[in-house]
Amino acid sequence: MSSEKDNREGTKIKDSIKELVITRIDAQVPSNLRLSIGMSATGLTKEQMIEHVQRGDSIGKRIIEAHLRFIKAQVSGQLTSALVSAEE
Amino acid sequence: MKSGIIITLPGYDPVTTYLSAFSKEIIGQAESIGLPVTKIAGKNVDVENVSNSLSSFPYSLFVFNGHGDEKTLFGHQGCPVIEESKNDSLLYGRITYSRACDSASSLGKNTASKDPQSCFIGYDLPFWLYHDITWETNPSKDKTAEIFFNTSNLIPLSLLKGNTSREAHEKSQKAHLKAISKALRNKDKESKVIAEALWNNYFAQVLLGNENARV
Repeated sequence: MSSEKDNREGTKIKDSIKELVITRIDAQVPSNLRLSIGMSATGLTKEQMIEHVQRGDSIGKRIIEAHLRFIKAQVSGQLTSALVSAEE
Repeated sequence: MKSGIIITLPGYDPVTTYLSAFSKEIIGQAESIGLPVTKIAGKNVDVENVSNSLSSFPYSLFVFNGHGDEKTLFGHQGCPVIEESKNDSLLYGRITYSRACDSASSLGKNTASKDPQSCFIGYDLPFWLYHDITWETNPSKDKTAEIFFNTSNLIPLSLLKGNTSREAHEKSQKAHLKAISKALRNKDKESKVIAEALWNNYFAQVLLGNENARV
């Protein structure tokens, strides 16, 4: 029972993370930019990035991981510390 | 190894075209100081030509531009040119800068662990690059893409100036942080995604093996 709950919660968290990342992409990526990641030959449009995240495929997971890595770095102070160190 | 550079310049899709276009500065600097440069360009970036060049020219720096994954570097039209435990011994004794996704995570580790003289600088996660489609036919004018190449080109450019592999890696890392700081101060819509992508490259860029290697 508890594992079912864990799984449900896990799924819910994943969906909410997807929503967060999609919102960020939608708000921040201009339509004239293409993202090169992995074996993408032409670069991904904003819409393609969002599709990958929605599907949760390997590229989508990579995009989600990168967004979370940046958010965590901002929240934890890791980013600020690194930026300050570069000015020294 | 002799001082010199072998560089791949693929161009079969927009991404590889960008990688090659922004490598002109590396080639120009090498030539300006009189270093021999072996260029493997376009459809010639295949396993035969890459293997022959690495075997025939004992040059100390190999700059790989192209697509990659954990165990493989890919050349023209995605053909494998360097594969882990197959022909990666061609990288032994050199400094390899691999501007390709994921290649440091296994291929680079394998190379650096098997030969103490080897140095591999690359990315153990995807290399992120944003480009502006407005400039796809003239990549060198693309100011968005330029940000990603100014920071990554600093690795080979620093090496060509006589820095050690450790120094080149650290200068590039510092340049990433300065570019992130600048992007975060910028109010353009794309600045945040550029900062985020640069942070990913900063986080993913690793130096493996000989930290005191020089070109």
